[in-house]
Amino acid sequence: MPSPASPPPSQLTASIELATSTGLRRRAAHRGWGRRLYLAANIAVLVFLLAPIAIVIVFALNPTPFIQFPPVGLSLRWFEKFFASRDFMQALVFSLEVAAMTTLAATVLGASAALAIARGNLPGSRLIVATMLSPLMLPAILTGLALFQSYVLLDVGRPLWGLVAGHTLVTIPYVVRTTLAVLHNFDVRLEEAAQNLGASPTRTFFEVTLPLVKPGVLAGAIFAFIVSFDQFPVSLFLVAPGRETLPITLFNYLKFDLDGTIGAASIVSILLAFLVVIALDRTVGLRSYVKL
Amino acid sequence: MPATGAPRVNSLALLILPSALLFALFFFLPIGLMAVMSVLTGNPVVMPHVGFTAKHYARIGNDSYYLEVIWTTLRIGLWTTIVALVIGYPLAHWMARIRSRSGHALLLMAVLAPMLTGIVVRTFAWMTLLSDKGVINQVLAALGLISTPLQLMYNESGIIIGLVHIYVPFMVLTLTGVIGRIDERLEQAAENLGASPWRTFLEVTLPLSLPGILAGSLLVFALAISAYVTPILLGGFQIMTLPILIYQQISANFNVGFAAALGMVLLAISLMLVIAYNHVLGLVSGQRELQ
Repeated sequence: MPSPASPPPSQLTASIELATSTGLRRRAAHRGWGRRLYLAANIAVLVFLLAPIAIVIVFALNPTPFIQFPPVGLSLRWFEKFFASRDFMQALVFSLEVAAMTTLAATVLGASAALAIARGNLPGSRLIVATMLSPLMLPAILTGLALFQSYVLLDVGRPLWGLVAGHTLVTIPYVVRTTLAVLHNFDVRLEEAAQNLGASPTRTFFEVTLPLVKPGVLAGAIFAFIVSFDQFPVSLFLVAPGRETLPITLFNYLKFDLDGTIGAASIVSILLAFLVVIALDRTVGLRSYVKL
Repeated sequence: MPATGAPRVNSLALLILPSALLFALFFFLPIGLMAVMSVLTGNPVVMPHVGFTAKHYARIGNDSYYLEVIWTTLRIGLWTTIVALVIGYPLAHWMARIRSRSGHALLLMAVLAPMLTGIVVRTFAWMTLLSDKGVINQVLAALGLISTPLQLMYNESGIIIGLVHIYVPFMVLTLTGVIGRIDERLEQAAENLGASPWRTFLEVTLPLSLPGILAGSLLVFALAISAYVTPILLGGFQIMTLPILIYQQISANFNVGFAAALGMVLLAISLMLVIAYNHVLGLVSGQRELQ
């Protein structure tokens, strides 16, 4: 026997329909607002990320020697000042030299280490990887301090090789990581097939393994170049006075002047970083294999 | 791990040697020397009789000034981490869930572009934005909203803003990987069972991305407490953090022993973070440990 409170069947269906449709409508509205809030928050974060870079560009092209907003005109005077300054030019060339040497050292050492880890059946490979990646997480300023103290104790001064060694330490993790990523993703059977078909281990290495890991090694090399070119804390301790890298020169300039020269220098260094990436892409055919 | 016994070490293993040498000579030896210097009474190269001492550590422990510096460093690191997480999470979620390929590429570029711009340059950008006559104050004054400029830098919040901008990409990239690996069908199932999107997020997505949150936070914290350029420029040489103090001991006082002791304190904090980070990453990636 139905309870007296229960509505007749037709009414019940109607009320269920009503409840469901308001529920759905409320949920759709809820989702619409939530979605809008989500997008708005994300766009705000993107603005936060990109606005400072936009400001640097505006400031580099703005003719006034102090910050003015909105900008009053367009001029290349800060670029002229940057390229005419002997200090900045020397620092730029020196930074490029250090970055080139560092990239070479870090790429050769890092890629060989990755090969040894992935194919050499080394015991404790997990610990070795953690060690090789540790300069990424240990403060670079400590690497700088420790190297500086050692050079003082050994009384070797502040040599160029000392600076390049410091830069190589903090850039090697990138090469190891990108190369390992490729080595772990590719099929070991390709190497086995080559050997089964009669290739010597050396020939297998040069004709199968090396071409396949190339994208990972290159991605690592690009990271190494950019990181070395922008390196600050290690250089802070290891550069010799009068022979400073660009970030150090910019930092010293920033302590006293806040004009557009820094903006111009920034644009030049960003363009240089892009040029290196494009040049490597063109010459060696990088397939944007970037695994983070 | 192979149960049939590890395969034999082969000749490719020798390729580790050059890097091993580099790390031994230019990483472990110097850090070892730093540890030794921190307990010596002087520089053994210029002084004939040096002994062991704990005075540098005693100086750090007994002087409230140095403890205050350490606390300021940790506080700035903590706030940077919290803010980077709060603003980085939504962006990482969007990057992980966006359907269009080009949309994903654009977001990735927006996250990577600041990383390509050097730390000095980005700090300079924030100085032009936050200073008394900076862009933000000029715009607010032009709109008639303020009569005297707001103090946006030369304080801790200015430093935190600059550090968040520099380190939020690391948070986003770490989180995107972890959120991308969450099975979307779990979220769909929750919604089909009647959970609101917000509740689905709180009870499914958020708990499953916890390892990424931990890994990203540890990384950002470790990077933020070792920053030098941003705290010194946006703090206007007025706020002292551990890296600034360390460099000052070298450049102004040439007190190598005390700098080494301060360095060991920073190293101890960082090592704990590295170990925690590797542990968390091990949990996240499971068998994919070598990536």
